[in-house]
Amino acid sequence: MAGTPTAAPATVGRPPKAMPAGSRRGRTNWGATALLVLGAMYCVLPSLWVFIAATKSPGELFTTFSFWPSVTGGLQENLSELTAFGDNAFYRWALNTLLYAGVGSVLTVVVSAAAGYALAKYRFRGRELMFRLILAGVLVPQVTLAIPQYLLLAKVDLTGTYWSVLLPSLISPFSIYLCRIYATAAVPDELLESGRLDGSSEFRLFRSIGLPLMVPGLITVLLLQFVAIWNNFLLPFIMLSESEKYPLTVGLFALLNQGASQPALYTLVITGAALSILPLIALFLLLQRYWRLDLLSGGLKG
Amino acid sequence: MTDLTTTDAGTGGAHRPVGPARRRRASSGAPYLFMLPAMALFAAFLLAPIIYAGWLSLRASRRTGGGILGQRTEVFVGLDNYARSLSDPELYTALGRMAVYGLIVVPVMLGLALLFALLLDLPNVRLRTATRVGIFLPYAVPGVIASLLWGFLYLPRVSPIREAFDTVGLPPPDFFDPDTVILSVANIAVWGGVGFNMVVMFTALRAIPPELYDSARIDGASERQIALRIKIPLLTPVLVMTGIFSLIATLQVFTEPQILRPLTNVISSSWMPLQKIYTDAFVLNDIYSAAATSIALAGASLVLSLLVLSVMQRRAFGENQ
Amino acid sequence: MHRRLLMSAAGATATALALAACNGGGDEPDANETTGATAAGDADAPAELAFWTWATNIEQVIEIWNEQNPEQQVSVDRQAQGDELITRVLTAAEAGNEPCLVHTEYQALPVLVSNGVVRDLTGDVADVRDAFPEAAWGLTSFGDQTFAVPQDIAPMMLYYREDLFQQYGLEVPSTWDDFAALAAQVRQVAPERYLTTFSSGDPGWFAGLAQQAGAEWWTNEGEAWSVGMADEATTRVAEFWGDLVAQDLIDDQPMYTPEWNAAMNDGTLLAWPSAVWGAGVLQGVAPDTAGLWRAAPMPQWSDGEDATGYWGGSATAITEGCEYPAQAAKFVKWLNTSPEALEAMITLGGLYPAASEGQTGPALEEPPVMLPNQPEFFALAAEIAGTARGFTWGPNVNVAYNAYNEAFQGAIESGGSFTDAIRSMQDATVADLETQGYEVVE
Repeated sequence: MAGTPTAAPATVGRPPKAMPAGSRRGRTNWGATALLVLGAMYCVLPSLWVFIAATKSPGELFTTFSFWPSVTGGLQENLSELTAFGDNAFYRWALNTLLYAGVGSVLTVVVSAAAGYALAKYRFRGRELMFRLILAGVLVPQVTLAIPQYLLLAKVDLTGTYWSVLLPSLISPFSIYLCRIYATAAVPDELLESGRLDGSSEFRLFRSIGLPLMVPGLITVLLLQFVAIWNNFLLPFIMLSESEKYPLTVGLFALLNQGASQPALYTLVITGAALSILPLIALFLLLQRYWRLDLLSGGLKG
Repeated sequence: MTDLTTTDAGTGGAHRPVGPARRRRASSGAPYLFMLPAMALFAAFLLAPIIYAGWLSLRASRRTGGGILGQRTEVFVGLDNYARSLSDPELYTALGRMAVYGLIVVPVMLGLALLFALLLDLPNVRLRTATRVGIFLPYAVPGVIASLLWGFLYLPRVSPIREAFDTVGLPPPDFFDPDTVILSVANIAVWGGVGFNMVVMFTALRAIPPELYDSARIDGASERQIALRIKIPLLTPVLVMTGIFSLIATLQVFTEPQILRPLTNVISSSWMPLQKIYTDAFVLNDIYSAAATSIALAGASLVLSLLVLSVMQRRAFGENQ
Repeated sequence: MHRRLLMSAAGATATALALAACNGGGDEPDANETTGATAAGDADAPAELAFWTWATNIEQVIEIWNEQNPEQQVSVDRQAQGDELITRVLTAAEAGNEPCLVHTEYQALPVLVSNGVVRDLTGDVADVRDAFPEAAWGLTSFGDQTFAVPQDIAPMMLYYREDLFQQYGLEVPSTWDDFAALAAQVRQVAPERYLTTFSSGDPGWFAGLAQQAGAEWWTNEGEAWSVGMADEATTRVAEFWGDLVAQDLIDDQPMYTPEWNAAMNDGTLLAWPSAVWGAGVLQGVAPDTAGLWRAAPMPQWSDGEDATGYWGGSATAITEGCEYPAQAAKFVKWLNTSPEALEAMITLGGLYPAASEGQTGPALEEPPVMLPNQPEFFALAAEIAGTARGFTWGPNVNVAYNAYNEAFQGAIESGGSFTDAIRSMQDATVADLETQGYEVVE
């Protein structure tokens, strides 16, 4: 199996023939199923609250039982108010978020794949030092970095631009770590060696052999990074001042904090939050077969 | 165990040694070019801000000019900020609280994740996909929103959980009891993280060749015994890795207590170390003290991380280079 | 608009770099020297002005200005109100990216002044001084310098549930003694309800209560400050509320939480010492209780007294870095004194103007949506506004406010004394002033 892409670790969507159920047919294991259902309820019910709350009008939000959706048209009302708010600001923010998360995650994957590939497939002076430096970056919290990042970016006149949010999110130590592990596991040295014998350049080897083999792992990195940027708050909050560049998180925060003297737009914020979670859930459901989270553990071999 | 570790020397049955000469030729300039974008970004957006923060930590904004409100200037204060920050007993209370929080979150979250992963891997379990997706769902909910919604579920007068307890005649739990509020905060982290870790472990379980279980089954081993004696030992590297990542997440605990803070009297603005840093920087406009505390904490975590890295290195990349 | 900001930022960057290289702040004293004078420049020359604000629907008010002043366009950058906004403004100013106009709460103004972020407007806005009541103008002035133009003021008043007061036969309290007795009465006639709550999360609220009692938290003698957070007036207020909480005569949970919202809806809380904007907040959290509330003057500390404090309120300031101070000053004056802007802010943004004329303008003839049963609401509000006393905000309100949160959270949770809590506010504030290099007397 080694040396072919299929030697890569199993995915969530592994074909049924490998399912354990195939090894022993028998009666349903009700105990285990019940435990799993309990676990799923623990995880799903609170999330449902957001969607149920989005159906309520401001008058109902704090007065009716939390887990009973409202059918009095609160949802339509909330949606149309959200749409009307500040000249379609909500949809503008949604588009911005898509831009930050979409472009940001794709570029992160490119940067991390190249770095991870180099770390896994070459020996060079400074390799471990660079890797350790990058990994240590995980330990420095964003709360600490935000203001220095702002002040430094201001010196090159980038604050307040799309770049100020995009660029800092491109460096993701976690993604580089995953890419290194995945490149180690999925790209056999033999293929690279034979490519070199054929006279291919190193860049060509990376593009035509390394990258294609790494694709399943890269999709996972892409998804993780997409979610991370989608939900990022502090960085855009510090960097941006024009509302038209806000992502959803910052826009909704501004809606929620119009000052103590103004009514908080709870229902709008909750409806906006529900709408902003939906695309993520859809993305997971669509792409769940590509999840390669096993590479977290260092690339298990089957 | 050895079967589950990988090395940089290649995958699977790659036994052919790679010639050192060829390796050296290959590594001329290419790897540096591949590293360049990452290192440039790293230098610009992590390293430079960290160094800048270090510089700020030695300075402070002080009234130097006249006028009633004075005129502030940035001055050099040496290690003053460190002295003040590190002599603040609240910092150590917060650190202790963080340790307790980690001791709760990491084992509970990983324990539940492991339990669910093993259950999913059992034969004859129904609703496998539905429950797996369900348990994973909270990962899609941003931390801020997760904390807001749990806050709603915790608050005595609006909590549907307390309402449910009331309905069946049980005494409703007090989620904001000063002694147990840390459990309420931990619960949000567990809720958000259990699915992700479960999927990691489950994927790893799926990668174990089923043949490994066959002989045990022939010997009459129960599924529980197979789980305990075969699956869990094989999962050790995964458990170590998820443990390390959960620990790192513990060091950064911030969002959950920060969002719950205004809802109750029991969570202060310096309840966790990062909240203290945030309060200094964003409420008290004292980025200098915040930088000092951050640098001190980052230094401490660096020591921790060196230990962590040596584990990672052994687990993930072998020592055979 | 933005490009222009960047251009000005480019210039500032050079100074910022120099600032970073040597000892920093070198350019600020220079900037300060120009203050006090009338803004140079032609108020009618073309300009582009960015405005950081959180005011509701302010965009529509700005539209009026932009139509009338095609040469001086104002653009709104909507901000989230809160402590973080000040940090954002300070950071932006340090980097040279600050907008021309900033919306600021009164208590945040001193920090902006001492960091050299906002202009001294004394000369620029002297001509509109008479449009404001003395107390409101005092909120933006320190010594003989004025740093912002008051936008809205927030005299405190008491909201109560008229329906439930009638149902239980409760009397509207005219003194704080009555209020305490009433709190006890509520617990007797309706044990599941409270008269009101004491919130550890709202230092501005407590400051307003202290102002009413005559407190002066910060006073300056020359350039030296003295801090009076544990003065007689504040102590009286703290003891009063501490007793109520200790005897469980009022609730002790924070305001502005979903739980508080529910309590305001379902009548768990019967009254709310709030400010004139409270009607708008009620509309947000409990729209279905419209018509059930009524407003009254705050209870007094002694019979025959007639005073209230401020809770919140905000002003418009112009930054030092603004390229067009003359045009900005013209806009700020228009925004806060012209009848059309005041009317738009009242009707669209629901704010209560600081300008005297605005308080009796046609836009305030109708009562707020939540109090249709009280047609005289705004007449009452104007009367109350005339009795408001504020105090001088000191250079480190953020420290005092944070200390308030911490101290009162602790006191409520552990049953500690409220007088100890104000004592620890006092200590934290004094210690911080000294650390920062201010001269503190006493």
